[in-house]
Amino acid sequence: MSADVILVIVVATALAFDFTNGFHDTANVVATSISTGAARPSVAIGFASALNFLGAFISISVAATVAKDVVDAEVITPTIVFAGLIGAIAWNLITWYFGLPSSSSHALIGGVVGSAVAAVGLDAILAEGLVGKVLVPAVVAPLVAFLVAGLAIGISYRVVGRQRPGIVTRGYRYGQIVSSGLLALAHGTNDAQKTMGVITLALIAGGKLGAEADPPTWVIVASATAIALGTYSGGWRIIKTTGTRIIKMDAAQGFSAQGAGAAVILASTHFGFPLSTTHVINGGVMGSGAAKRLSAVRWGVAGNIVVAWVLTLPAAAAIGALTYGFTRIFGTGALGPVLVTLMALSLVTAAFARRARQGAPVEAVGG
Amino acid sequence: MIATIVEWKDLWQTVVASVVAGVGITFAFSLGIWGTGQFVELSRGDRQAAATIAGLVALLAFLLVAAAVIVGIVVMTHK
Repeated sequence: MSADVILVIVVATALAFDFTNGFHDTANVVATSISTGAARPSVAIGFASALNFLGAFISISVAATVAKDVVDAEVITPTIVFAGLIGAIAWNLITWYFGLPSSSSHALIGGVVGSAVAAVGLDAILAEGLVGKVLVPAVVAPLVAFLVAGLAIGISYRVVGRQRPGIVTRGYRYGQIVSSGLLALAHGTNDAQKTMGVITLALIAGGKLGAEADPPTWVIVASATAIALGTYSGGWRIIKTTGTRIIKMDAAQGFSAQGAGAAVILASTHFGFPLSTTHVINGGVMGSGAAKRLSAVRWGVAGNIVVAWVLTLPAAAAIGALTYGFTRIFGTGALGPVLVTLMALSLVTAAFARRARQGAPVEAVGG
Repeated sequence: MIATIVEWKDLWQTVVASVVAGVGITFAFSLGIWGTGQFVELSRGDRQAAATIAGLVALLAFLLVAAAVIVGIVVMTHK
């Protein structure tokens, strides 16, 4: 009975994480389109939400890789997964509160690593996976996107430099709609699968599925719905940061950042070198600004974002570890997770209520 | 240690493909916009032959971008 209660809580928490993932990462897909006036905010978010939902059904081949690559799957229990998810959700909400675009995937990995270490010690970590599949890509992603977007915007300005501004702006705005669609599809495919993987892992650990089972249909549908709803609710604070606070961008820069982002993400997917959507897009935005003029980038804002990226893994890990430790005070039953869930719901409600009073949609600046 | 952990070949391929695809798509799309602008401009100036060539350049460039988008979707479905 207690094991079933924990499992239900883990599934609900995983879907809550999926919601925050969509909510938090909406900015990656829509920020540049909104800020350049390529699409109205409600249209951009509705479009991204629909494609996030669709993207979740495209492939399930990497659904169970999130925790497996960085922690020893043998030691994973539903409570470890639960504590890791709480760490990820907490960090997502903290960075959302301050309007900082950070990687939801890194938050999830950090949370699970922290709770696993708290449960069984450092032996739980697979150092090879952590370095090769998380840390190195975290450094490479923004640098590659910065380079590609910088080169792309330089070439764009040369090609269309003598054209009438009206036709150029309209053209790049149409292009942004296509590139944001590709990004939304890629985001739905990558990130909804992470939640599917976590739920499947918990169901396997709880004895409800066989060790090699694929995610059941209800898990796929629920994950797709949660990320789409999260995206639809829109994380305006982060959209504002990515869309207007790093650089004040024109339509060509928006297209270059998004086009470069989509190219980098799809290239990395093809060659099996997973990169964070958040790191790629924000690196691209910085690159498209810096190529025009170095001082066009607000380096203070960019610096805050980089600090958030560096802190994501250790901070989510610390929260995951503390959460696991707290649940164990109440034994191995369901009481600990139930109490943590109630506390987390109270905090989340308070945070949303506070931000709802302060938040406002971003105005288009692209003429 | 890092030298053995990181898949340098995958990393290098990712960087090269990203640069080629990202810069290539943006160049093709920009060429499409350039061609469209030239087509409109030259059509108004009654230079039909040049306008047709510019229009063809734009069409080919946009077709290239459309093909790249389709390749992107195929990559997503086959990972």
